[in-house]
Amino acid sequence: MKNFTFIPAPDLKTALNILDREKEKAKPVAGATNIMVDIRDGKLNDKILVGIQDIKELRGVKFNRGKIYIGALTTISELADSLLLEKKAPALFQAAQVFADPIVRNSATVGGNIAYGSPAGDAVAALMGLKADVIVARKGGKRRIPIEEFHTGVNKNVMAANELIVAVEFAVNPHSAFYKLALRNSMAISQVTVAVSVRQDRAGKITDAVIALGAVAPKVVRAYSVEKAIIGKPFGDEVIAAIAPALKKDIKPIDDIRGSGEYRATVAPVLVKRVLAKACGVCLNEGRNAK
Amino acid sequence: MTNRIPLTLKINGEEKTFLAAPEINLLRLLRDNYYWDVKCGCEEGECGTCTVLLDGVAVKSCLTLAHNCAGHEIWTNKGLGYNDEITAKLQAAFVECGSIQCGFCTPGMIVAAKHYLQQGGKADRQAIRKAISGNLCRCTGYKKIIDAIYKVAAELEGGGR
Repeated sequence: MKNFTFIPAPDLKTALNILDREKEKAKPVAGATNIMVDIRDGKLNDKILVGIQDIKELRGVKFNRGKIYIGALTTISELADSLLLEKKAPALFQAAQVFADPIVRNSATVGGNIAYGSPAGDAVAALMGLKADVIVARKGGKRRIPIEEFHTGVNKNVMAANELIVAVEFAVNPHSAFYKLALRNSMAISQVTVAVSVRQDRAGKITDAVIALGAVAPKVVRAYSVEKAIIGKPFGDEVIAAIAPALKKDIKPIDDIRGSGEYRATVAPVLVKRVLAKACGVCLNEGRNAK
Repeated sequence: MTNRIPLTLKINGEEKTFLAAPEINLLRLLRDNYYWDVKCGCEEGECGTCTVLLDGVAVKSCLTLAHNCAGHEIWTNKGLGYNDEITAKLQAAFVECGSIQCGFCTPGMIVAAKHYLQQGGKADRQAIRKAISGNLCRCTGYKKIIDAIYKVAAELEGGGR
């Protein structure tokens, strides 16, 4: 079964009108790096492909009053080349550097990574670490959804059929970091990803921490127990010791082709420690393999 | 029979119109129309041999929806070789450096390298390795491919001295 049609949407208004009319039948397509594979595998059928690639108003990274606004059609390459993100949101900048490979990054979009909803989505993990909001539009309205409430499971989300992701927005945080553990450097699906952003007071106490992990649950998850356990303390031995026991409550890694659940559960706390240290500006000095 | 929709785009500088299935990827559109210098390897984005330039940016044509390219400009390795100096240099360097064994990865490698150099990529082996990290080669061990790209990059940096 295939049965596709294609309608181009040169601007947002047209796209939203098409989605409103066709509902579940419509499938917005931009970079298409996931969709083309699903079509080839026969996983996606019987859709009206809505070509949203050329909607210019949905592209670009903007900075305004301490917030960064990224249009949904901004490519991962644009993030990887953004000096603004390097300074103000290193977690997302670092995720963009290791996302798929340099050529796929030219096509893949931020909105696409969120909409696809893989539990190992690198941009999703980084954005969750930055506590981003997903902004979705429908004909005649818009709403904001915190990214941790956006996905409900593998490839599933809370959007209605007539809604389209138009942007993400988050408060800048230079004290953020990201790490991806994978079997190779390019075109690798993550084994575990960790994104962290922190705020500290003058004495170095952690006053706010956001920790997100990818590929260790049916969706990208926040490590709420770890966050709770470390707030109010400066980064140090006490915080390090608190990570592993708390993290057990937050993640449910499974066995798959890229690694066993046991392995993921073992490395995840180590990665959280390292990325947290990086976000706090602490040098762990663990030896040459420390990142 | 599936429905086919008209699609107009520019390929290697020429405006072309096709009737194409709505879900066809750019790779199949090109190969069905005799652009055989664009190779089909894995058709799922892993190997990179189908890489072309879309509006000057390297993309994997198997992961690109053909109809999304309507009104845009595509360049393939062959078209670039005749029209673009950097690509012509890369092609010559690949031959001189022995970067081609079976040749299957070559068109993708050259387009990826062309994109790297046109963005101002330097003669830096580590950066070159990263730039072609989306392209697989099972013959050469990459060494000679990197040599060829390095050679052209060094030549461009030297400004013809």
